[in-house]
Amino acid sequence: MSFLEVFQYTRQESIMHSLDPRAKLLLAIVLAVVSLLFLEIFPLLIILAVLIPLMAAAKSLRRWLRSMKGLSVLLIFILIFNTLLSTYSNPLNYSIALVLRLIALMTSFSSFFLTVQPDELSQALIQMRVRFEFAFAMSMAMRYVPTLGQEAYAIMDTQKARGVELDKGNILTRIRNIVPIIVPLIIVSIRRALLIAESMESRGFGASKNRTYMEKLSFKKRDWAVCIVSLIALVLVFYIRLYIPLPDWSIPF
Amino acid sequence: MPLIEINDFSFKYYGAETLALKKINLTIEAGEYVVITGPSGCGKTTLCRTINALVPQFHRGYIAGNVIIDGKNTREHTVAELSSIAGLVFQQPENQLVTLNVEKEIAFGPENLGVEPVEIRRRVEELIELFDLEHLRDKHPHEMSGGEQQRVAMAATLALKPKILVADEPTSNLDPKSAEIILDLISSLNTRGMTVILIEHRLDLVSKDAGRVVLMDKGSIVADGLPREILSQDICQDIGVGVPKATLVYKRLKEHDIDLNSVPLTGDELAGLVKEASHL
Amino acid sequence: MIMMENVSFAYDGLYTALQGVSLQIDDGERIAIMGTNGAGKTTLVKHLNGLLRPNSGRVIVDGVDAQHYSVAELAREIGLVMQNPDHQLFLDSVEKEVVFGLKQLGFAEDEIKERTDRTLLSLGIKDLSERSPFTLSGGERKRVALASVLATEPHVLALDEPTIGQDARQKEKLADMLMELNKKGRTVIVVTHDIEFVIEHFSRTIAMANGSIIADGPTSAVLSNNEVIRLCSLTAPQLTQAARSLHTLFPNVPERLTLLSELEDEIVRILGGV
Repeated sequence: MSFLEVFQYTRQESIMHSLDPRAKLLLAIVLAVVSLLFLEIFPLLIILAVLIPLMAAAKSLRRWLRSMKGLSVLLIFILIFNTLLSTYSNPLNYSIALVLRLIALMTSFSSFFLTVQPDELSQALIQMRVRFEFAFAMSMAMRYVPTLGQEAYAIMDTQKARGVELDKGNILTRIRNIVPIIVPLIIVSIRRALLIAESMESRGFGASKNRTYMEKLSFKKRDWAVCIVSLIALVLVFYIRLYIPLPDWSIPF
Repeated sequence: MPLIEINDFSFKYYGAETLALKKINLTIEAGEYVVITGPSGCGKTTLCRTINALVPQFHRGYIAGNVIIDGKNTREHTVAELSSIAGLVFQQPENQLVTLNVEKEIAFGPENLGVEPVEIRRRVEELIELFDLEHLRDKHPHEMSGGEQQRVAMAATLALKPKILVADEPTSNLDPKSAEIILDLISSLNTRGMTVILIEHRLDLVSKDAGRVVLMDKGSIVADGLPREILSQDICQDIGVGVPKATLVYKRLKEHDIDLNSVPLTGDELAGLVKEASHL
Repeated sequence: MIMMENVSFAYDGLYTALQGVSLQIDDGERIAIMGTNGAGKTTLVKHLNGLLRPNSGRVIVDGVDAQHYSVAELAREIGLVMQNPDHQLFLDSVEKEVVFGLKQLGFAEDEIKERTDRTLLSLGIKDLSERSPFTLSGGERKRVALASVLATEPHVLALDEPTIGQDARQKEKLADMLMELNKKGRTVIVVTHDIEFVIEHFSRTIAMANGSIIADGPTSAVLSNNEVIRLCSLTAPQLTQAARSLHTLFPNVPERLTLLSELEDEIVRILGGV
């Protein structure tokens, strides 16, 4: 699961980190769309040549490499299977392009998740007119993920201490053994939710339609620059895709 | 007019068989430090929730009587409206920190009420200093100890600038040192004018600072007065309340016909009284 | 008999929780384990029933290295009651919860019925046996969780923070029950912050700090030590504070940990009772 590392926020100071999350969202979407437009090796390589410096700009190159390493087994698998089973005229060509596109897509989205703090994401959504309750529910979910994880482990320990054997038996036994874990987890979470609600109500949650925000996101010049460049690039790429025939640089098999 | 007036208030949760609160009569003046205690199930948890209207607005049920907080009847005002008058701190710190860092947590309350961002920032800075949270500023709740979390929870509650602080067993889940820190904080807040209502089992830690002890049992108030008077009465042990050991010694000495000059609440007080008595 | 020989353990190989811990627990002892949060108390106790396995060193249960036993097998010998009963309760009746624990450890049908009734009765929750645990109060749920473990009658009973949130009467009842069990020969181990509870009921205390045992011996000696009190972030109990203060004027008053009756007698002596 280490390939997920590249989608986890890391607290750092970098050019990418300092951009407004909305600008980064646009950038990520544009990059992903561009990646999807091509199934030829050369253009995809160019796209990657843009993405990799972006990872460096986010001071996350090592992370990215680690994730790619973690993904390498899957990628090779895709490569081999598609080459063998493909009905295209140049199967290897096609498979390599597929793999490159996958990497490009992942890297595009990773540029967003790696550099956007969940708080900022929530604030970005609010300023994009998403209702506060929804955006806040999202950030609360993220806040409580580690807590829930710990709770799950504690429950597993408790049940193991009673003799429940979680890793023994056939598939049916194992499924049955999940019940003593899931039920307490759900109940505990519901109890917790009620207590959290009490605390939130006591601090005025939902009181005013005119909720204020201590820190608001605002676009700086560089954010506008990123947005404009992204959009221009998008238009250009569409134009190239639609009107300019690409030379055939494919590997002949 | 007293800050808190509970008049003949009774409450039964929906689906419950018995009354959680039976005709409670309690008045608390501004600036008091009241400790409410009693065996499990006596109604103290329900009582403290009447002060910011969680009962009956959030916890629904059957009510009789009135609770008037700073002139506002809790039947007619929402929890949000009362949040800037009475702030509640609960037992589990984990469940009171809903955001991803300390700044945001403290800002949460004022933001909800539409306070001006500049003012919110001011309050956040003030409270971070007051509660010594500077080194925790950007930390995720998961990266803090229970004691630190509870301090943040208190700061977040005080961000709404309430006149009353109600704390429901805030130290139950904390180790002794953290518990002391929290209780000292509460005590110092009271010295500065905050009206404090504290629900606590550990009377040995709080009775020396409290101005008043209210004893509850089975939904009613069974005693209400100065700590030294209440804790030396037999009713405490009858209902199963943990009286400070020093006070127990005082009572046992009485059985030996030894009358110390006053009721001790701490070990040092006891020693002092014995020394006094020995010089006579 | 349980022995830990130079046990070290680190969570995820990174966070060292136990460093070179060695101890011996004989049958029938009453032991309290104290220390700050993060000192390693719970980690240590989890090594007793195999929930955690040492990175180095050994845990030996009744002469056999614990690594040869699974957690389920060790659960017959060592019953661990965790802090939060809600982590355990998942069935729709109190009786079923207790039966579940017994079934898991392979007890026979007829034994199960008998043990269940007996245990529920001893904890005063027989009348709740048909109730769903989720509808019970916090204290009642704690007793159900305890019943489920007690029914299997493990030789060693270990409880993690059993007194949190309990009122004085509940603590007394818990103490009585633990003393009863101990009288019958069971080893009772308690992990707690509650110094008063420990002084009154536990003859041996193991104090921990930073993953190591800093003191291990009779409670009165261990908890009279100021360094231990400091390193475990504890507050000296009221009676000890009183005794210390009185000692300055009346040297006959012991400066160490003191029980209520002891202090009472000393003061009566000083002031000349009737």
